[in-house]
Amino acid sequence: MQLDFSSRELTIKLVYYGPALSGKTTNLQALHAASTPDATGRLMTLETRDDRTLFFDLLPLTFGSERGLSVRLKVFTVPGQVIHSSTRRLVLQGADGVAFIADSRVAETENNAEAFRDLRENLKQNGINAKQIPLVLQFNKRDLPDVRGEAELAEMAAQGKEPVYLAAAVKGTGVVDTFVALLHQTWQLLDSQHGLVEKFGFDTSAFFADVLVKLNDPRPLSAVLSSRVGKKNPEGSQP
Amino acid sequence: MTSLRPLRSLDELTMESKFSVQELVSRSALEELLASLYDLFGIASKVFASDGALIAEAGSGSALQAYLSSLPGGRRLVRETVELVKSSTPKPNESQQLQCPTGERYVVVGLDYDGRLLGRVVVGPFLLIDDRELPEALLRCDPAAALQRLQELWQLLNHCEALLIARVVVHLRTTLGLVLFSGHRALLASNMHLASVQESFRELSEKSATLQVAYERLKDLDRLKSNFLATVSHELRTPLTSIIGYSEMLIAGIAGDINDEQREFMGTIHEKGGQLLELIKGLLDLTKLESGTLSLHKTETPVLPILRDIVHTLLPTARAKGVILSATGDAGIPTLWGDASRLRQVFLNLTENAIKFTPAEGSVTLSAEMTHVELPLEDEDGPAIVMRGVKRPMIEIRVADTGIGISEAERPRVFDAFYQVDSSSTREQGGAGLGLSIVKRLVDAHDGTVHIEQNVPRGTVFVVRIPCRRLSFLG
Repeated sequence: MQLDFSSRELTIKLVYYGPALSGKTTNLQALHAASTPDATGRLMTLETRDDRTLFFDLLPLTFGSERGLSVRLKVFTVPGQVIHSSTRRLVLQGADGVAFIADSRVAETENNAEAFRDLRENLKQNGINAKQIPLVLQFNKRDLPDVRGEAELAEMAAQGKEPVYLAAAVKGTGVVDTFVALLHQTWQLLDSQHGLVEKFGFDTSAFFADVLVKLNDPRPLSAVLSSRVGKKNPEGSQP
Repeated sequence: MTSLRPLRSLDELTMESKFSVQELVSRSALEELLASLYDLFGIASKVFASDGALIAEAGSGSALQAYLSSLPGGRRLVRETVELVKSSTPKPNESQQLQCPTGERYVVVGLDYDGRLLGRVVVGPFLLIDDRELPEALLRCDPAAALQRLQELWQLLNHCEALLIARVVVHLRTTLGLVLFSGHRALLASNMHLASVQESFRELSEKSATLQVAYERLKDLDRLKSNFLATVSHELRTPLTSIIGYSEMLIAGIAGDINDEQREFMGTIHEKGGQLLELIKGLLDLTKLESGTLSLHKTETPVLPILRDIVHTLLPTARAKGVILSATGDAGIPTLWGDASRLRQVFLNLTENAIKFTPAEGSVTLSAEMTHVELPLEDEDGPAIVMRGVKRPMIEIRVADTGIGISEAERPRVFDAFYQVDSSSTREQGGAGLGLSIVKRLVDAHDGTVHIEQNVPRGTVFVVRIPCRRLSFLG
């Protein structure tokens, strides 16, 4: 996070992490496609010739200063292949929140677990407390056959503390939910650490309403947050 | 690795969006872009940085402005025009069209990237098609201004369709946006490359340091092991010599008569004591060879007598097993440069081994012949490159058996100390696994080589090559 008091500008870094080919870049592409042109810049990709992410993808999102503080989001993906561990560690530097994109297919269960261990390790190496960083899990590729059952995922999600969302990023479903949930969690932590609402008179509800408008999602925030599976609190939490 | 840290961390770079135009694009590339636009439509343009500095321009000011500048009243008009254009600050993603007191028009476009204003693009001067009348301010700017001249210059100005201007502005904005985006992307990619390389270097350095520590520790342990072996061997040998000596005296009857059973028992004690002494001597040799303290007394040594002596010594053992043992070699074979007693030890060991692993009705053959071996060029202690092609005369001694053989994979390892091809507790053949490691080290100490070949149709050949003469005698 970077907070520029003089220009009243907050920059937040969100990172999409996960195993190779789980759909991290597709998530960003879907977000980019959903958002209005005044909120987003070009989606920057640094990829190899065969379209695999080489260093990262970067989606900038900007929300105006009408609420006393302009918020700039930098959404990154990491390369999933095992060999790029040092790159993942570099991209993870200074992350304020992480969305872990898992592949729902049964055959990918072990790869998901391995990538999650890798995330924990790289967070630790960056001096980030893995227990405190805002973290949202997404089970992607729900549109494919041979995926893990929703009931099974819901049951396991209910046991963990991280919110879990289902998605089919190629169709754009679940993408906004995951993103907004991550932003919401991240915002709450940053606000509790830095007193943003108090210092800048920031209107959080209006901000999230604006985010949803700019992502072309007609639902209220509570509906988006409560679309998670295996929730303990079915109402979701209001900011 | 503080010396390798980049000026800005990757985190700062990826999060930062306060760039200057100059950081992302080269001036000359921008000038080319503006020039191509001028060539196409005759529309002049300039790019300014956010601090007002001119970065690139194409097309010069109008002839009308040049004329006006020669008149005091005209100069004021031009100055007002410049100030009007300068004071125009469009928001990001917007443009402003200005009509100046001279009647000329400009479009000022905000040059923005990632929602921030990086500078301004000024397109113009131009006139729209409908601008036919000279403005009042121009006509009255100076009493000395000639109307006809003003009208001529007015006609020279670029008269454009409003739609064309709008399109040019959109095109310019898109193109510049792409150029800035590509510049930013390249900047990030190259910094990411640098950061990745640094990170890999850091990781490797850490691993290498860990390995270095482990290596030092192993070296210490190895030294400890050698010292331990040497000490223990010495300490074992002294009492063992007494055991052997006294059992010998008892057998000889020096301490009085003993019966046959006692003699047999004493004989076993004496024999096993002797075996133990051989083993300890072997260990001592090995530690001496490893520490490099074994001294060799090299002389011109004929090889055939050594081989014949070995056959003579081991013939009873071979016969007892039903193995045929023989030695062959040309009588005129040159002498080799070595320590006769140590070489005897080498071939005795190899031959004993060969007999041990050869079943009844098999054969063990020792042979010696002269050969020439190409000198390895990478050998630092060897002769220089100019010696390339010179072959070194060596004596090749082959100890061939028809035994169980050694697989290709095992061959390089049999020379390791304590290594046994069959290390299971039920293995048929005894031995501490020291023999071949001593052989290898003794051959090395002679500047020789030893390797294993397959015997046809079955069995093993140990091939030992020992130089005929000292290296320094060459050339």
